[in-house]
Amino acid sequence: MGLIDKLISTARRRSPWLLHFDCGSCNGCDIETLACLTPVYDVERFGVVNVGNPKHADILLVTGTVNHRNREVLAVLFEQMPEPKVVVAIGACGLSGGIFREAPNVVGGVDKVIPVDVYVPGCPARPEAIIDGVMLALEKFRGKQ
Amino acid sequence: MEVMRTAGLSLATLTAAILLGGLLSAIDRRLTARLQSRQGPPLSQPFLDVIKLMAKERMVTNPWQAFSPVASLAAAAFALVLFALQGDLLVVLFVHMVGGVFLVLGAMASPSPYSQTACQRELWQMLCCETLLFLIAGALYLTTGSFRISGMSALSEPLLFRLPFLFAAFLFALTVKMRKSPFDLAGCHHAHQELVRGVYTEYVGPHLGLLEIVHWFDVVLYLAICSLFWATGSRGMVLLPLAAFLAVILLDNVAARLTWRWMLGWGWGAAFVLSAVNLFWLKG
Amino acid sequence: MSEAILVVLIIVPFFAALACFLSRSTAFRAFIVIATAAMLAISSLLLQGPLSPDAGLRWAGIIDPLITGGDFLLLAIMFYLGCRYRHLLIIMLTAGQLGLFVWLEFFVFAGEQGHALFQVDVLSLTLVRVVCLVGSLICLHAMPYMQAHERHLQLDRTRQPQFFAVLLLFLGAMNGLVLTNDLAHFYFFFELTTLCSFLLIGHDGTEEALGNALTALWMNGLGGLLLLLAAGGLYRQSTQLDMGGLVAAAAGNHAALLPLSLLLLAAFIKSAQLPWQRWLLGAMVAPTPTSALLHSSTMVKAGVYLALRFAPAFAGTLLAKGLMLAGGFTFLAAAALAIGQRNAKKVLAYSTISNLGLIFACAGIGTSAAVAAGMLLILFHAVSKGLLFLCVGTAEQQVHSRDLEVMRGLCAQMPFTGMIAVLAVLTLVVPPFGMLLGKWLVFEAGADHLVFYLMLVLGSSLTLLYWVRLAGTLLASAETTGFKPEVQPFLSHFPLLALAGGAVALVLAAPILYGRLLPAGQSCLAGRDGVLMTSAGSFPLVVLFAGAALAGMLALSAVRQAMAGRKVTAYMAGANTRRADYFVGPMSRPVRAVVENCYLAPLFGEERWTLWVNLAAAGLLLFILGGALWK
Repeated sequence: MGLIDKLISTARRRSPWLLHFDCGSCNGCDIETLACLTPVYDVERFGVVNVGNPKHADILLVTGTVNHRNREVLAVLFEQMPEPKVVVAIGACGLSGGIFREAPNVVGGVDKVIPVDVYVPGCPARPEAIIDGVMLALEKFRGKQ
Repeated sequence: MEVMRTAGLSLATLTAAILLGGLLSAIDRRLTARLQSRQGPPLSQPFLDVIKLMAKERMVTNPWQAFSPVASLAAAAFALVLFALQGDLLVVLFVHMVGGVFLVLGAMASPSPYSQTACQRELWQMLCCETLLFLIAGALYLTTGSFRISGMSALSEPLLFRLPFLFAAFLFALTVKMRKSPFDLAGCHHAHQELVRGVYTEYVGPHLGLLEIVHWFDVVLYLAICSLFWATGSRGMVLLPLAAFLAVILLDNVAARLTWRWMLGWGWGAAFVLSAVNLFWLKG
Repeated sequence: MSEAILVVLIIVPFFAALACFLSRSTAFRAFIVIATAAMLAISSLLLQGPLSPDAGLRWAGIIDPLITGGDFLLLAIMFYLGCRYRHLLIIMLTAGQLGLFVWLEFFVFAGEQGHALFQVDVLSLTLVRVVCLVGSLICLHAMPYMQAHERHLQLDRTRQPQFFAVLLLFLGAMNGLVLTNDLAHFYFFFELTTLCSFLLIGHDGTEEALGNALTALWMNGLGGLLLLLAAGGLYRQSTQLDMGGLVAAAAGNHAALLPLSLLLLAAFIKSAQLPWQRWLLGAMVAPTPTSALLHSSTMVKAGVYLALRFAPAFAGTLLAKGLMLAGGFTFLAAAALAIGQRNAKKVLAYSTISNLGLIFACAGIGTSAAVAAGMLLILFHAVSKGLLFLCVGTAEQQVHSRDLEVMRGLCAQMPFTGMIAVLAVLTLVVPPFGMLLGKWLVFEAGADHLVFYLMLVLGSSLTLLYWVRLAGTLLASAETTGFKPEVQPFLSHFPLLALAGGAVALVLAAPILYGRLLPAGQSCLAGRDGVLMTSAGSFPLVVLFAGAALAGMLALSAVRQAMAGRKVTAYMAGANTRRADYFVGPMSRPVRAVVENCYLAPLFGEERWTLWVNLAAAGLLLFILGGALWK
């Protein structure tokens, strides 16, 4: 029914619960991400809640380059998230490995392990950009089932 | 005719409880945000959360994780309806207990260490809450001569004046039940984490959504029991629970999390002794 | 007709036991057990009360000498056992009983007039049905169980003939115990169950089993001695041994309080109340059918039966108040000790002691609602606890350990047994089932006495804790895929299913039972629209039952929907490996995630607290005795 679908779609966009995972980041992007929760940016007004549990999360925020140890962890966390889910890769490292691309232990980018829906560039990415990225990811829920 | 009236009242109670529970949850989050110099989510947020959860994929580790939320919800709903029909308070409490039992069973069914450890803590929490609620039922019996909630109408003076210690113990139980600091040990709220999300860790999607509604029902039931302490006037029956609710939220924002040993030892121990003393005063 | 049924219930098991003992053929023995079980079950359902005022009187000429002879035989056997195992206490107690019995039987009771030898009222009818139905199912379950047991012990000569002989003998003894109206005959059956208990506890013949059997023998022997003293004392007050008449005569008679207190003390020992719990805990070494039949469903109920039968005799006195407090204290303390237990059978034992304490407290409160509560508790406790013992015993046979942590995740290994065990636990703690109904009635009846109410509240909450923890431990399974079907013989499956069905459905009979137990003027309070009412509250039984059934069906359909979806592993911070309960640890090696329950030994441990708890209980018993002697 159209009304129910619209309601569900609205609820998905306005109740984004996210899981934040650091895949070997220098913590620069992580600090900016967590800054979004502080009173200055206050993403809870959009209904965003930082749950620590993939089973409760809709959005997976990944920072860092991903290395050969935590690629399995990332895959497991992604698998344990229920549908519908979106992935946001944050920072230059998350997009392509950033300045660490050439290092031997680095996989080089989140999309080499799991499918990514939104890329947020920056080194570190600004909180405003991160919030924009999350909002863009929420739009993806319109299409997902 | 009687059946129709009862069915109608039950339906009205449950609808009101859902709306009220969600509203209280929203006020909780907004007030907490304001106390932290933030804006906070809109008042419709908890309802949107539940709708989103109900539409998520169903995933389980163990079939009990699907069984328990339905059983819990049924128990919580029954307890509320029995209370609204002004039945026997003991029966209300026993039925309410069933919800907690199934929550723990479903959470213990998963091998996750977070879930298991949280269940041990949840069992201690249930011990604290249930004991104190039954003491309130005992106080009801001592003052009105029966366990029936309908007997409250015979009282001339609010119970609060004669049962101050018991009310303090009740506030302790309310803090534990609402999963607020300092006693949010087995399944705290939203962004706070203790053992990830404690007993709720392994529940996914619609099952978690049902448990969220169960939590709303539980809070509404506890606030309804709180209203028994000032059952002589409709203003008191609304304002006292509201005051208790706001006090707990304030405490949540001010206090740090304590250990379960503290909760059992000083918290519950003191609450039980004080309540027992209060009941002896009441009797003699 | 009724007399014929009485013969079947009491006499036939004796002969069946003899036949079992003498037969060498397993098939014939199985036939005897099944036939006796069926006969007992049907007879108990056909039995109706009340009997005529001279029931059994014309057979008194045969029955009396038979029982007297039986008494001498019993005491001689016990004396012999005391000498053989060089147990001074048993020798002394048996000698004391012999001497006292001779004196009473030949010099004191000689002037006794004829009275009805048997009585059937709601109390005895309930217990007869419990013994015959639950007991028969346990005997059926025992057959494949003992075969597997002996296979595991690798015995060269089977000891099943004596095992089943004693089991059937015990059923007859229990029936006699609850149907007799004569206090001296009651003593005989009382001591016969003691002997059966000794034989069954020591069945395996190990040193530990023998030691525990001797402990049970001396403690219950002390109980027998006290019962004899009480019988003598009560006879001196009213020169009769008619139990119904004794109760009526003793009511309001202050001088009868001392023998009544001795009677209660004997009942306490039989029901393993604090501080006499040691023998029951030691009896847990026996094979499962023993634990299920004797030490939870029937034999230990003999004590509470005695208390409930004599409850009108001491109602309202200080003795009753002491009984209430002692029962309440046992309820609370045994529940606390159960929390600190890892041994699954000991948890069940402490829980039995705890519930029996509650029933004693009901006898102490003495109002009609309280006595009704006591009876409902007897009925539902026997069914659910017997079932749980059978399940735990079956599980123990499989995992070869009694430790609850070893039984963790039983529902994956043994789905049928595990699920029935969880269901049994739920029938013990959750409304609308019978135990909760009984507990609610006790709350209603006991709310006037504040100290007792406090003990009730604490004990009830502690009880919930260890039961939920036990059920949760059985459920905690690492398997995410389907489970292997459990293969068991029909005689193992059927009793479990029958008892589980009974535990669930019997509660619907509770309103009828409750109505029969209330005095005539109040019977309108019960069963109206399926709501049980007391003066202080009401329990909407049928509505709750229907609601529970509906919720159960909805929940099952939710399970079906969920199982059709994706299965996922438990959250372990993403470090899951392919095996469900292992995670990736240091050096990339898999580490098993081990969680155990929190038993809090410093607070609830048996080793630490038994002494203090026993001292407190002994103090309360002295208070009871003092109450009997006061003014």
